[in-house]
Amino acid sequence: MVKRLAEEKWEPKILAFCCNWCSYAGADAAGMERRQLPPAIRVIRVMCSGRIDPAFVLMGLLEGADAVLVTGCHIGDCHYVNANNKTRNRYEFLKEFVDELGLEPDRLWLRWISASEGALFADMVREVTEKIKKIGPSPLRRDWKK
Amino acid sequence: MSRCYLAWAKDERIREKGADGGFVTATLVSALETGFIDAALVVEKKSVYEGIPVLTSNPEVVKECAGSLHAAPINLTKYVVEYAAEKRIGLPTKPCDARGIIEQAKRRQVNLDNIFMIGLNCGGTLHPLRMREMAADLYGLDPDSVVKEEIKEGKIFLESKEAGGKEKEAGIKIDELEQKGYGRRDACKSCVTKIPTSSDLACGNWGVPKGEEKKTFVEVLTAKGEAILKNAIDSGYVCIEEAPGEGIEMRKKIDAGMRKLAESWKERMDAVNALSRSERFDFYVNALKNCIHCGACKDVCPVCACEKDAKCLDMNDERDSYAISMYNVLRIFHLMDSCIHCGQCEDVCPVDIPLTLIQRRFSERMQRHLGYTPGMSVDEKPPLYETELRWSAESMVK
Repeated sequence: MVKRLAEEKWEPKILAFCCNWCSYAGADAAGMERRQLPPAIRVIRVMCSGRIDPAFVLMGLLEGADAVLVTGCHIGDCHYVNANNKTRNRYEFLKEFVDELGLEPDRLWLRWISASEGALFADMVREVTEKIKKIGPSPLRRDWKK
Repeated sequence: MSRCYLAWAKDERIREKGADGGFVTATLVSALETGFIDAALVVEKKSVYEGIPVLTSNPEVVKECAGSLHAAPINLTKYVVEYAAEKRIGLPTKPCDARGIIEQAKRRQVNLDNIFMIGLNCGGTLHPLRMREMAADLYGLDPDSVVKEEIKEGKIFLESKEAGGKEKEAGIKIDELEQKGYGRRDACKSCVTKIPTSSDLACGNWGVPKGEEKKTFVEVLTAKGEAILKNAIDSGYVCIEEAPGEGIEMRKKIDAGMRKLAESWKERMDAVNALSRSERFDFYVNALKNCIHCGACKDVCPVCACEKDAKCLDMNDERDSYAISMYNVLRIFHLMDSCIHCGQCEDVCPVDIPLTLIQRRFSERMQRHLGYTPGMSVDEKPPLYETELRWSAESMVK
């Protein structure tokens, strides 16, 4: 029997953009330290958080991600001089857009995580997953109906 | 730089034909005849409901185009970019034309040194289709028989010539029309830029004292404006006199009054304001689901400079089953800092999406957040392209 998607139990799907030099290494560190992470997260590695076009984040939401995390190096630590300043600027636009569109502001996150902060990465993923479980599936998601 | 004058055309024919003293026409004609500009971009009147932009170096054509045309809401920005980016041109600009041209200059599509913007104070324009309905329903006229429209003292006057040669003229108050849902376009009702402060000259009849009709109130805003005015005076096309103090006050008062009215319209027309978060989401999804992705709103948009290689077109796929298409999401997102609220997108939309309202909802809150007004000064870069934030880092995310 084919089981309809709508009948399945909803589990959050969280999309995380991680920069190659800091937050991806941070996620790696979390693994190496054997920290438990909720399985909701899907990581996409980019070379720099400045490469994250707002269109990628928006497309992630439209594709049905319940939350999108934008992560990068701490301000001042960017491998490409100041590209994460641009990320911060674009994130302000995304935040206003998502709020005005009628999605909960908690569906969008920006965190600076360095290569050694594995614990921080694990905490962040736990925090996001808990919040998303509370607010429920994204209204943009098509495979799950309330 | 700001100085105010009363000005009028010396040529009696131009003065008679122009809406208020023919100053704009005379200035353009003189600039053409003395070789100050290569060409003028003017709107040729086809009928009360139709105007066609014409790029010409023939002064006679410019003279023919004198007078105002309220029911042809054209934005000249894209015509400048497409046909006159290399030329030295002069053109009359409404506030939204001027702001659009400034935005294009920020995006390096035009060279502002070569564009002489003769600004027109603008209380708003009417959509040609609404105007036709209005003529039929409220004025009791055959829309095709209307030969002249005029806005005077807060009333819209329509003059018609019936088949039998009878002439009829009727005037109805704009407020009254708008209560009934006719009148100006939505974008104009809620527009707060009534004086084109980003163009070179700002002209209009606000501030012209009573009894001195057939004169134009001119404010000189830039050195370029001063140059084209000086050229017009020296070549003997235009006379000026110092504007009286009470005229300047009167103009300020009219401007403030119009802006206040616009603010109240903004609130009255905002259907989304009262909705909850999830209702707001449903509103946007339902409003945008009719989109057929024809790209007309992008083509006319006076801010967009992406031409054919636009991200909103590239990333959009008709086969996607998104609740809101990538095209709409990206267009709204990219205009959040730069939308000048001209309403051209809604005018051309074949499926009548309320784009004026949607773009306003998104961009106005972002612009307030940024403390940025687009289309005012060419020195301000669009904040989305900025590396550093324009606000202090403390107010931001950790």
